[in-house]
Amino acid sequence: MMWLSRLLTPLAPLLACIGLLCVWQAASLALDTGSFPTALEALRAIPDILGDRGSLINILASLRRMAIGLALAVLIAIPLGLLMGRSRNVAAFFNPLLMVIYPVPKAALMPVIMLWLGVGDVSKTLVIFLGVSLPIIYHSFQGARAVEEKMLWSGAAMGMSASRRMLRIVLPAALPEILTGCRTGLVLALITMITSEMIARQSGAGNILFNAMDMAQYDTVFAMILIVGAMGIILDAAFERLRAMLVRWSDAGRAIPLSYS
Amino acid sequence: MARRHFPDMLLGLAPILMLIALWQVIVWSGTAPVALLPSPFSVFARFSAQLLRPEFHHEIAATLMRLFAGFAIAVVLGVSIGLAAAVKPVVDAVVKPLVRILAPVPKVALYPALLLTLGFDHASKISLVAADALFPILLATYYGASMVEQKLIWSAMAAGTPRAQIIWKIVLPASLPSILTGCRIGLVISSIVVFLAEMITSTDGLGHMLVQAARTFQTVDMFVPLITISLLGLILNAALHLLRRYLLKGFAEI
Amino acid sequence: MIAVENVSHRFETSGRQSHLALDDITLEITDGAFVSILGPSGCGKSTLLYIIGGFVKPTGGVARVQGRAITGPGPDRGPVFQEFALFPWKTVLGNVMYGPRQQRIPRAEAEVQVRRLIDMVGLKGYENFYPKELSGGMKQRVAIARTLAYNPSVLLMDEPFGALDAHTRTRLQNDLLNIWERDRKTVLFVTHAVDEAVFLSDKVIVMTRSPGRIKTIIDIDLPRPRKRAELLLDARYQNYVVAIERLIDDTGIDEAAR
Repeated sequence: MMWLSRLLTPLAPLLACIGLLCVWQAASLALDTGSFPTALEALRAIPDILGDRGSLINILASLRRMAIGLALAVLIAIPLGLLMGRSRNVAAFFNPLLMVIYPVPKAALMPVIMLWLGVGDVSKTLVIFLGVSLPIIYHSFQGARAVEEKMLWSGAAMGMSASRRMLRIVLPAALPEILTGCRTGLVLALITMITSEMIARQSGAGNILFNAMDMAQYDTVFAMILIVGAMGIILDAAFERLRAMLVRWSDAGRAIPLSYS
Repeated sequence: MARRHFPDMLLGLAPILMLIALWQVIVWSGTAPVALLPSPFSVFARFSAQLLRPEFHHEIAATLMRLFAGFAIAVVLGVSIGLAAAVKPVVDAVVKPLVRILAPVPKVALYPALLLTLGFDHASKISLVAADALFPILLATYYGASMVEQKLIWSAMAAGTPRAQIIWKIVLPASLPSILTGCRIGLVISSIVVFLAEMITSTDGLGHMLVQAARTFQTVDMFVPLITISLLGLILNAALHLLRRYLLKGFAEI
Repeated sequence: MIAVENVSHRFETSGRQSHLALDDITLEITDGAFVSILGPSGCGKSTLLYIIGGFVKPTGGVARVQGRAITGPGPDRGPVFQEFALFPWKTVLGNVMYGPRQQRIPRAEAEVQVRRLIDMVGLKGYENFYPKELSGGMKQRVAIARTLAYNPSVLLMDEPFGALDAHTRTRLQNDLLNIWERDRKTVLFVTHAVDEAVFLSDKVIVMTRSPGRIKTIIDIDLPRPRKRAELLLDARYQNYVVAIERLIDDTGIDEAAR
């Protein structure tokens, strides 16, 4: 039993993928409608999309916008969140504004922003930036707020200036929480990217999806869904690797399950 | 602490008022044509006028119906799967890898597939909302339920609680703070997603209003649904906060 | 009677190693006795208590209560934990009512009995408070009342006063003895404080650590009811405390070794 579970644990996500594809295959065979291709048909369409120069450039351009938007958000949101976490006044100043912005779907600003800045890269990058900033600010805020006062006192006693304390004590202490925010931000960046392209209908992965749907190329639609899904999984897994490396000192959480079942 | 409340509020209002003032100044100065940036007064006037029209109520009702239906499905599924996975190792072994795969997938990409299989009506939008709100609720429930103090469970078992009832009598109430945090995130996500789904394809709802206005370049009308969804989000959030305060009376941190 | 027969317990630690927490423990506890288990942290004394409570299954041997092998927790053995483990979503009344309601005692009948218990532990007037609104000492009083409410014949107390300040601890020790004098339940009391063990118990079991074994069992032959102020001046009490502290020094028990 032990060796079996030790063998299965790293393979579990892969098995889950295969399981999902099998369920899909069975469902589409059972329903047998023209607009719901089987998993195999969708998988077979993937090389066509990735082999096509036009769509590949489109997808890469999407990813580039996403990376720029995310990088800008990280650069601005982390310092702002940390400041909010350490100063009551800064927090009181920004909190209500952020609360008002929070429930607004950022991709929904696309039509308004397009009106001002056109349909180019600037609009889409701006929307991604807006979309991912909030969770990063929020988590940096929470992380900085939770930093133990006594650590800062020790720093001050050692003669560290306020800005040095921020950089050398608050930032590393809040890092696990900040990275949680960045992880949410990463997935959110991908979501905002796809959504804004679906709404703008100009270029990018989201546009390929709906164009294929309009032209009734259903296996392309489902293949694109697989590609976007894979992007999400790969980006998240890669970031998780990075996070584990950066905060090795932090608690991993409970390893042993509770015994009441 | 209480005395600081009032200045805090003033401080918080400042950036919002400043933004509106800046907006007004830009309009007055004429840097942006009114067709691109209407004045805040005309936007709020249109918003108030809309509030009295039954057609607008219909759009809000359509959006809210989809939002609540999707959110309710997500709460029921998320809490029950989360609890089951935290308590039963067999369920955990199946759920954990599935969640690891499905949680980072941008659910909005599934929307075309949902449209093709469930049609262009309510069902596809409600499913999208449910799929998006599910994971934060599920993860928060799982996290909360696996952090329940072992000794609470032991105390209840010693008092004669049958094993099968421990999950309802102890694990569920003890993980309620975490579950409600997940629900708050899920609710905001629901309101965002329902709006986006309506923008992508719909014949009614607030998202459709925005797209409709954008197609005809009615800038003033584009701002109205945006303000509405922001207000709805704030109201729903406040309502959930009250519910949380009531349900978590006994818990230390709220 | 509680009988522990050749009980051993082995943990799987995270590094895929195993740690022998209890090594071949055998002991008997007669009904109505107040017995303390004394030892440093990590000697497995709490694990022994959890095994008798039925919360943890021993990896070797068997524990019996009234001749029956223990297979799980039951209302005949009531635990009181250092962490209080009160239900935060229930008031004081709700917490103490929990056990009787599980025994399907009608609400009205249970409430009369529970209010009397709350009064007995000195918390009259706090029935509708939530645990978060109480001090540590008051929380532990609620926890004791919650356990007494389902009338277990054995109390399993796991360092119950370990998280309290010295003053509160003394008061709760006195109150616990007063409650115990009334109905003489069997009490198994885990602690690492020598004076506490001597003051409360009929018998003190001294354990060694890594692996946890019984070093000696000492009968405390002091008259009851015990008064703290008198005992502190009593040479017999002082001798017990000194003797046990020497014993503990011998075993090389110290936190620094961890």
